Amino acid sequence: MLIDSRSMESEDEDSLLGESEEEYSELSDSELQEAFAKGLLKPGMNVLVDEPKKSVNNVEGLKQCLAELRKDLPWVERLDLTNPPAEDVLSKAEGKAPNPTNGDVNAENDFQREMFFYRQAQATVLEALPLLNKHGIFTKRPDDYFAEMAKSDQQMQKIRKKLISKQMIMEKSEKAKKLREQRKFGKKVQVEVIQKRQKEKKAMMTAVKKYQKGMTDKLDFLEGDQKAGKDSAQGPKKVANKKGPNAKRKYKDQKFGFGGKKSGKKWNTKESFNDVSGFRAKVAHAKGGGKGGNKGKGGKQNKRPGKSVRKKMKSRS
Amino acid sequence: MSAFKRKRGGKSNDKKAKKVKFVAGGEETREQAEQEKKNEVTIPPPVSMGRWTNKERVLIFSSRGINFRTRHLMQDLRTMMPHSKADTKMDRKDKLFVVNEVCEIKNCNKCLFFEAKKKQDLYMWISNSPHGPSAKFLVQNIHTLAELKMTGNCLKGSRPLLSFDPKFDKEPHYALLKELFTQTFATPHYHPKSQPFVDHVYTFSIADDRIWFRNYQIIEEDASLVEIGPRFVLNLIKVFRGSFGGSTLFENPKFKSPNMHRREIRLAAAARVREKQMVKELQKMKRTEAKEDVTTDVTADVFLTPAEDKPVHIQTEAPEPKVVKKNKHKAFKRQRMARR
Repeated sequence: MLIDSRSMESEDEDSLLGESEEEYSELSDSELQEAFAKGLLKPGMNVLVDEPKKSVNNVEGLKQCLAELRKDLPWVERLDLTNPPAEDVLSKAEGKAPNPTNGDVNAENDFQREMFFYRQAQATVLEALPLLNKHGIFTKRPDDYFAEMAKSDQQMQKIRKKLISKQMIMEKSEKAKKLREQRKFGKKVQVEVIQKRQKEKKAMMTAVKKYQKGMTDKLDFLEGDQKAGKDSAQGPKKVANKKGPNAKRKYKDQKFGFGGKKSGKKWNTKESFNDVSGFRAKVAHAKGGGKGGNKGKGGKQNKRPGKSVRKKMKSRS
Repeated sequence: MSAFKRKRGGKSNDKKAKKVKFVAGGEETREQAEQEKKNEVTIPPPVSMGRWTNKERVLIFSSRGINFRTRHLMQDLRTMMPHSKADTKMDRKDKLFVVNEVCEIKNCNKCLFFEAKKKQDLYMWISNSPHGPSAKFLVQNIHTLAELKMTGNCLKGSRPLLSFDPKFDKEPHYALLKELFTQTFATPHYHPKSQPFVDHVYTFSIADDRIWFRNYQIIEEDASLVEIGPRFVLNLIKVFRGSFGGSTLFENPKFKSPNMHRREIRLAAAARVREKQMVKELQKMKRTEAKEDVTTDVTADVFLTPAEDKPVHIQTEAPEPKVVKKNKHKAFKRQRMARR
């Protein structure tokens, strides 16, 4: 922190500091206390500097000099213009209010500063072009006018190459990013597809089991996606079937399968035992007549030769 | 055969059909331009057609001890200004007013003199010799034509447009500087080395109490610009009445010499180091101080409650011996507990 030496009002300080003005000596404790009381101190070391010298500003002399220097040249010779910067199209487009009060451009903000200079040049150009045309000075260079340029062709080639390489680098990085995104996305999609397939398989298996166990006698799970039409037909029936298995039972069935003894369906039940619909009296009471009658005539129709004969046949062949 | 001396001023109208020689990308003389006059209407007449009246010449040179960037900047300025002349490096031993003599020898009436100090700081003098005012600047942030980020290009020797910040009109010293810049940087009309087109613009702006110089190429008629370079920042130090001398007309109060600047940084760093050291020393002292033994605890008698004095009883007879009971035949503990 820089304390101006003249701002210390204590008498002691004046005499002390008068000698040590040129030296960057530290203030003594009492002086520090005084400064603290006045609120001049800030955290950090305090360095003493002397007051800035009164700078020369000879306004009259400057004006006189200017009058002497001035040459009355027509504008064509000088081609100079003084103008504030042109309209800031960008900030207007973004919706920021243009600040006319802020005449001082912030020199630290690089972009703002350069845009300020650019716009100033633009304003000059816009104003000057009609004037130049009036005076008959050309601004447009025809394409076949070859003349020496300020920068050599080699230099321009280098510049072009640099620009192209920058573009390429950007493109490459963009491509790499996109590829990475795609891969991530592709992986996600793949996982989803596999999961979907597994789900479908599970559903299919449960549907098949259902049919096997006789819970549903419809084979519409084979059709797969054509459930929409069938659903409406099954509407009223579903209501009746609601009282069948419990909702909880259904959920458990869906999740775990049907539980209980899986293959007891091949055993006799009371109903199947008492079911005599498959009884054919003729077949049952035929006493082997058909087969016995044939014995005299077509003995060897279906008769299998004996073991020894078979063996002989085998050995022969 | 004596060479026919071409008179300037628009008399030689008899240049008609000249054989066209195509040199790819190389220099074409102005006769070529006239040749094409028949095809295109927009080609201007050669520069020699007009009378060159504004005899402005600028001498650009430097002192010894400049570095590569300054040298390139000087070369760039010479390229951009066809009305400039070069000279050899000046010895530092000579006083500054020697520059005036050099100017006179070269028949120049303006001068741009670059002075390098300590191989770090670059000062620029701009002056109107022999009588006129002069100014000294500190040059910073130099970027030359050769930088690859400046993509624009212009004709060598084409006349520039000059663009000034309105702040130049507000202060008298800035007004003087503006006049000086205008006369120095503007290429005279019909200068023999100039090109008849106007395709770039110099910008002088004021920000942060410094003068910023930029050079843009005009690409389209709708004022789209690309920077050509060079670019630099001028920090005004003083304006003098005479050329490289004379009384001071203006002194910039905000100017800080680079030496001072570096010194301040160093001192601040030194002050910080000293502060740290002081703090460390204080701590050390505190640690090694002879610590006082605390013998009397001040807080010891906080909880003292003085008791009542008991009367002193002195026993004169010995106490009776105790009756010793042996083997009391106590029952087992368990049974005792059970009984209870």
